[in-house]
Amino acid sequence: MAAVMVEEAAGFSFDLCRRNASLDKLGIKPPNVRKTGTTIVGVVYKDGVVLGADTRATEGDIVCDKNCEKIHYIAPNIWCCGAGTAADTENVTGMISSTLELHRYSTGRRSRVVTALTLLKEHLFKYQGHVSAALVLGGVDNTGPHLHTVYPHGSTDTLPYATMGSGSLAAMAVFEAKYKENLTREEAIDLVASAIKAGIFNDLGSGSNVDVCVITKDGKEMLRNFETPNPRTYNRSKGYVFPRGHTPVLSSSVKKLGDLVTVEDASPAAGELEAMEVDQKP
Amino acid sequence: MGESQYSFSLTTFSPSGKLVQIEYALNAVNAGATSLGIKATNGVVIATEKKLPSILIDEDSVKKISLLTENIGVVYSGMGPDSRVLVRKSRKQAQAYHRLYEENIPVTQLTREIATVMQEFTQSGGVRPFGVSLLVAGYDADGPHLFQVDPSGSYFAWKASAIGKNMVNAKTFLEKRYTEDMELEDAIHTAILTLKEGFEGQIAGDNIEIGIIGQDQKFRVLSVAEVNDYLAEVE
Amino acid sequence: MSILTYNGSAIIAMMGKNCFAIASDRRLGIQQQTLATDFQRIFKIHDKLYIGLSGLASDVQTLHERFVFRHKLYKLREERDMKPSTFANLVSSMLYEKRFGPYFAEPVIAGLNSDGSPFICTMDLLGAKQFSSDFVVSGTASESLYGACESMYRPDLEPEDLFEVISQALLSSVDRDCLSGWGGIVHIVSENEVITRTLKGRMD
Repeated sequence: MAAVMVEEAAGFSFDLCRRNASLDKLGIKPPNVRKTGTTIVGVVYKDGVVLGADTRATEGDIVCDKNCEKIHYIAPNIWCCGAGTAADTENVTGMISSTLELHRYSTGRRSRVVTALTLLKEHLFKYQGHVSAALVLGGVDNTGPHLHTVYPHGSTDTLPYATMGSGSLAAMAVFEAKYKENLTREEAIDLVASAIKAGIFNDLGSGSNVDVCVITKDGKEMLRNFETPNPRTYNRSKGYVFPRGHTPVLSSSVKKLGDLVTVEDASPAAGELEAMEVDQKP
Repeated sequence: MGESQYSFSLTTFSPSGKLVQIEYALNAVNAGATSLGIKATNGVVIATEKKLPSILIDEDSVKKISLLTENIGVVYSGMGPDSRVLVRKSRKQAQAYHRLYEENIPVTQLTREIATVMQEFTQSGGVRPFGVSLLVAGYDADGPHLFQVDPSGSYFAWKASAIGKNMVNAKTFLEKRYTEDMELEDAIHTAILTLKEGFEGQIAGDNIEIGIIGQDQKFRVLSVAEVNDYLAEVE
Repeated sequence: MSILTYNGSAIIAMMGKNCFAIASDRRLGIQQQTLATDFQRIFKIHDKLYIGLSGLASDVQTLHERFVFRHKLYKLREERDMKPSTFANLVSSMLYEKRFGPYFAEPVIAGLNSDGSPFICTMDLLGAKQFSSDFVVSGTASESLYGACESMYRPDLEPEDLFEVISQALLSSVDRDCLSGWGGIVHIVSENEVITRTLKGRMD
């Protein structure tokens, strides 16, 4: 059973596939997975690239995270917005950033955006769209600023402005109306923010806040929650207050943590502390 | 490794209980350029000679200190090509750890992983032991660390140590100079003085290499100019 | 029917002031038929780290065993307990490894960091992490749990007050879910003690 001890066995395990397929045959439908419904965008401007994302994560029709992060680290000079199955975007970007770090150690050079792009598309194409990650990849390297989109099946585009996710149409409408060449930094950030807001307000899969990331040849600036256009409108000043002892309890026990030996004052009251587990019957 | 039952290990016990292949590997280390390391209160320094066999070699292309992660560096004595294999494997191991836990690998853990690889190469078929000893320098949540790993796969934590050709003299020198309250700057000076002791010819910024890590937990190799500045300070 | 709803479950974790609470219902059923009312879905990894697993009961138990195994191995190797965030990433990696043939369970992880601050997080069955600074929920009752927690949760509660809030949120939510309920269990963990209480709930 040496295999049991192997901790970091690389790649996927298909152990449970047969069981799950047999459940499928019984007409049990596969469960919902967490998606980032998502509006993600990117634009190339005069001195670099601006990426943007909304912050809603959904599981079916339920909003399960109101302020998640969709702009992932690839390399210090390369970042990537992810849409699709949350686990896939998280892991595919993590894997590629790891590969690039090893590549940087062995070459001693800054990573290039095309290298990241090639690694991503090769991985996604290998899995024929089953790894469902739709990405907007942006960065600045020795050859200048770059912006790409990557589709789940592994095809890619190289564009001056790009949108992805369920809110991509809303966001693209803003780009098509307002994009021009050689934007300044402020213009580019404004354009990205309004494209994301178009997604937030017009696409139900997108919502909450605007995250922005500006990448230039000198580094990156992450503007987390750059805009928060959807604050809570129903804050109660006190909230619900339940008096202590309100909930009916069947049994209760207390386990003390910390040092195994504690020095206590030998006064009579300290005697109660001897029992480590105190059972209180109702 | 060991796919075939006929791929015997080269490393076989002698009747007296020695593994001579490992001793030969240690001989290869002891023939290599001297490297040393010192653990200070607020950091670690590792240093090595970078003597080149010919003046015609471009010394910029020779790098003997490598980064394994941003907070762990390593220097070798012995066979350069063998060290590259270990560096490649340990960088990969560090990344795998990071992917699994989203946390930097502790120096102790990475050292043990390297030692595990080196041990496997003393017991597997179709391979030979590594002809290198390593000094691993790192700084993590538990503070500064200095480890030595030998071809047998044994590893030790040191306050200061030396490996390679001039190991014995260098260790004697370090024993005299080492103090518990040494800070990183003193340690760099001591490292240079120790190297200088056994150095044949004129010591200079381009024929030694120094790597340091301090409380910022960023390992870096000093530039030739920086080494020259330190050399001027100890003169 | 999705297999995640086969046995029924409800799990919450909430952050308090230098403490956290994690709670679950106690029902085990096969669809509409109740089999047991003392089923365990919240497991201790170490004194200050707990994991709750909603979803298919058999996968819950298998995963629990695998997590405990991995934590013990880690402890032997590294001579320390796992930090909550480290454990969360381990769980995430183990779930994503089975991306194309997943376990039908969704974890809720709650723990105390070494500085005493609380950590809570949840994942889907593929291991997509979601960190939170207020509350996380999981299970067949999650829809009603979201609603209850959104209105009942308040930040920086003391352990005893946190107990009332998490218990009320749990009990009121499972009353609107056929598949979960039949009592509940709550653990409130702070720097010096763990309080464990079982709750009296509706048995229908």
